[in-house]
Amino acid sequence: MARRPTPLKAPDKLVFLLSFVPYLLEQRVVDVSEAAKHFGMSEEQIRDAVRLIATSGLPGSTGTYQPNDLFDIDWDSFEEDDVIVIVHHVAIDDAPRLSAREAAALIAGLQYLSALPENAGSASLASLMGKLTAGASAAPSRLAVAETEADESLTPIREAVAEGRQIEFDYLNARGEAGRRRADPLRIISQDADWYLQAYCHTREDVRNFRVDRMSDLLLTEEPIGDHSQVDVPDTLFQGSDTDLDVIVDVSPTALPLLADYLADSRSREVDGRLRVTLRLAHVHGLKRLVAGLPGLVTVVAPAEARAAVAEWAEGGLAGYDDATGQDR
Amino acid sequence: MIASVSGASRKGEPRIPVEDRLFSLVLALLATEAGLLKSEILSSVRGYAERYDPAGQNANLERQFERDKDDIRELGIPLETVESPDRPGDNQALRYRIPKGQYDLPDAVRFTPDELTLLGLAAEVWREASLSADSQRALTKLRSLGIEPREPVIGYAPRLRVRDAAFEPLRQALDRRQTVRFHYFKPGEGAARERTVDPLAVVLHEARWHLHGFDHGVKAPRTFLLSRIIGPVEAVPGMTFDPPPADIQDRILAELDELRLGNVADLAVRAGSDAEVRLGKRAVLRDEDAGVIRLHYTDAAIFADELSAYGPEVRVIAPVELRDAVRDRLAAVAGAHRDRGGA
Repeated sequence: MARRPTPLKAPDKLVFLLSFVPYLLEQRVVDVSEAAKHFGMSEEQIRDAVRLIATSGLPGSTGTYQPNDLFDIDWDSFEEDDVIVIVHHVAIDDAPRLSAREAAALIAGLQYLSALPENAGSASLASLMGKLTAGASAAPSRLAVAETEADESLTPIREAVAEGRQIEFDYLNARGEAGRRRADPLRIISQDADWYLQAYCHTREDVRNFRVDRMSDLLLTEEPIGDHSQVDVPDTLFQGSDTDLDVIVDVSPTALPLLADYLADSRSREVDGRLRVTLRLAHVHGLKRLVAGLPGLVTVVAPAEARAAVAEWAEGGLAGYDDATGQDR
Repeated sequence: MIASVSGASRKGEPRIPVEDRLFSLVLALLATEAGLLKSEILSSVRGYAERYDPAGQNANLERQFERDKDDIRELGIPLETVESPDRPGDNQALRYRIPKGQYDLPDAVRFTPDELTLLGLAAEVWREASLSADSQRALTKLRSLGIEPREPVIGYAPRLRVRDAAFEPLRQALDRRQTVRFHYFKPGEGAARERTVDPLAVVLHEARWHLHGFDHGVKAPRTFLLSRIIGPVEAVPGMTFDPPPADIQDRILAELDELRLGNVADLAVRAGSDAEVRLGKRAVLRDEDAGVIRLHYTDAAIFADELSAYGPEVRVIAPVELRDAVRDRLAAVAGAHRDRGGA
C-alpha cells in the first residue's frame, strides 16, 4: 500500500483538484502535512494545488474573473502556519462521481479479493460493490473476475500472519524435494491464481517464497515469530541468484508475454519467425515444467543438458500412454 | 493585421497549465444552468481566453476544446451538449454544461474506514497500467470524503496481471460500445479466422480472460479466449451497438462455471509428486489407493497444456479427448527437444 508521491498527468491533476476542494470544505481547517498524507502526495504538491485553487473561479457574467467569482483562502494561515482554510468557494462542494471504468476497476479488484479467507462469501463485499455502482456516473463497464475458492491452507496462514505465530508444514519444492518446514510467516502475496507465502524459513535461515498449493499438513504453533524488521522482504516473487541457469529458447512471439518473469534481459532476435531469447531460471526442474506447459510455443535451443531434461520429461509423460488402452497399471 | 500582432505579444505570457484550464472549464460548466456557448467558453474561460482571437479564426482553440471535452468525459464527468430549441442542428448554437445533480456523488454513497481500506487493497491488485490508473483515480475521488482508512491491511500483496495484448483495446471498445474486428485461432481449425464482434463483457474465469460478444459472422453470441486472439483488435468505423444488460458479466461467469462442471477428468497422479499435491487440492473426488483424482475443467485445450507441464507425474485416464490432447502435446515437446541421432 505504498503511496509514493509521483508526478501526475493533467487529467489526474484535475481529478485531484476536484476531489481536494470538497475535502477542504468538509474539513474546514487542515494542515498541509495532514492533507498531503491523506491524498498520498508531497506537501509541495498540496501547496501548489492550494495556490491554483485560490486563484480559480468563474468567468462570471462579464466574462472576466471578478473577486466574488473566485475561490478565496485564508492567506495568513496558509503562508504563516501552513494551514488551509477556504473562506469562499464557487461551483463545487461535493465529491465527484466515479467514471464507469473507475468503478469497474475497483469492483473487479474486489472480486479478486473475494479469494481471501476473510472475504469469502462476504456480504460486506457485495454491499461495497453496490455502492461503487451507485457512485458511478454511468453503469460500470462489464468487467468481472470470477470468485475463486481459496486454498484451504490460506485461512490458517492468514491467521498466522495476522497474529505473528510460527507455522509448520510439509513442503514439496520445485525440485521435487519434500520435507517438514518451520517458518515465520511474513506476507501473503499472490500472482493471478497462484498464492504464495513469504516467510522466514528456520530450516534455510532465510526468507523464502512458498507456493501455498505445495504446502500441506499445516500446523499453527503458539510460538511467536522472530523480529524480521531488518530483513528485506522482496516485493517480487522471482529473485535472481548466482546459481541461476541461463537457457536460450525460441519462442513464438504471441507467447513471449508468458515468459516475462523469466527473461534474463530484453534482447531478442528473430529466427525462423520465432524470437530467440535468454531465460534465467533457478534450475532445470522449473524449466521442464514451463516448456512442457507451453507445448509447441517454446523450444529450448541450449544448453544441451536443458534440452535433454525437457525431452526426458516429455518422453516420461508420453510413456504413460504407451499402451493404447491405458491399462498399464 | 492587428490580431496577429496581439497574438504575438501574448507569446511572452506564461502558459496556463493544462490542469488549470481543465479545472476552470469544469467550474464554468458546473456553474451554468442554461449552458455556455462555445464562443463564450473560448472567449472567457481561463486557459482559452488568453489565446482567444475575437477577430479571427480560433480553429486551434476549438480543437483544443474538443480534446478537453473528451478528456473530461473520460473521467466520468457528465459534460452535456444542449441543442438550441430555435436553431436545432446549428453547431454554433450548441450549449455545454455539467448538471450538478449528475456530477455530485450521491449522498447515499458513503464509506466506512474499513471499506476504504478494502478499496485501497482492491486498487493494489492491478499491475496493468490503465486499470491501475483508473483505480487510483477512483481512490482520489473517494478521499474527498475525508474518511481516513484504517491502517493498511498488513500482510497482503495480491496481484492480478493482464498479459493479453487484446485486453486494453477490448476494454476500451466495451466502454465505447464499439464493434471490433480481430483474428481468432480456434483449436482444431487450421488457421486463425477474422471475426467481427460487438464486445459485451470481459471476464476472468479460471485465470483466463474471456470476451463475450455478439459475433456478426454467425449472428449469435459467442465467448472467446483473449489468449487466442492473434494480432491487433481493430475498431470497425461507424459500428456501435446498444448497451447490454447490466448483469451480463455475471451471467457469462455462471455459464462458464456450468461448462466447467460439465467437464470431468479422471487423472492418475504419481504419489509424492507436485501433481498429486497441487492438482489434488482441486480434486472433487479422490481414490487414494489407486492414486486417481477427479477434476472439473473448462477448456480441454487449456487444461491439456496445464497437464502436459506435469510430464510423467500425471496420466489422463478419461476422457479420451483430453487424453489424446495431452499425449499429442507431450509428443510435440519431446519431438522438438529430442536430439537427432535416431534418423
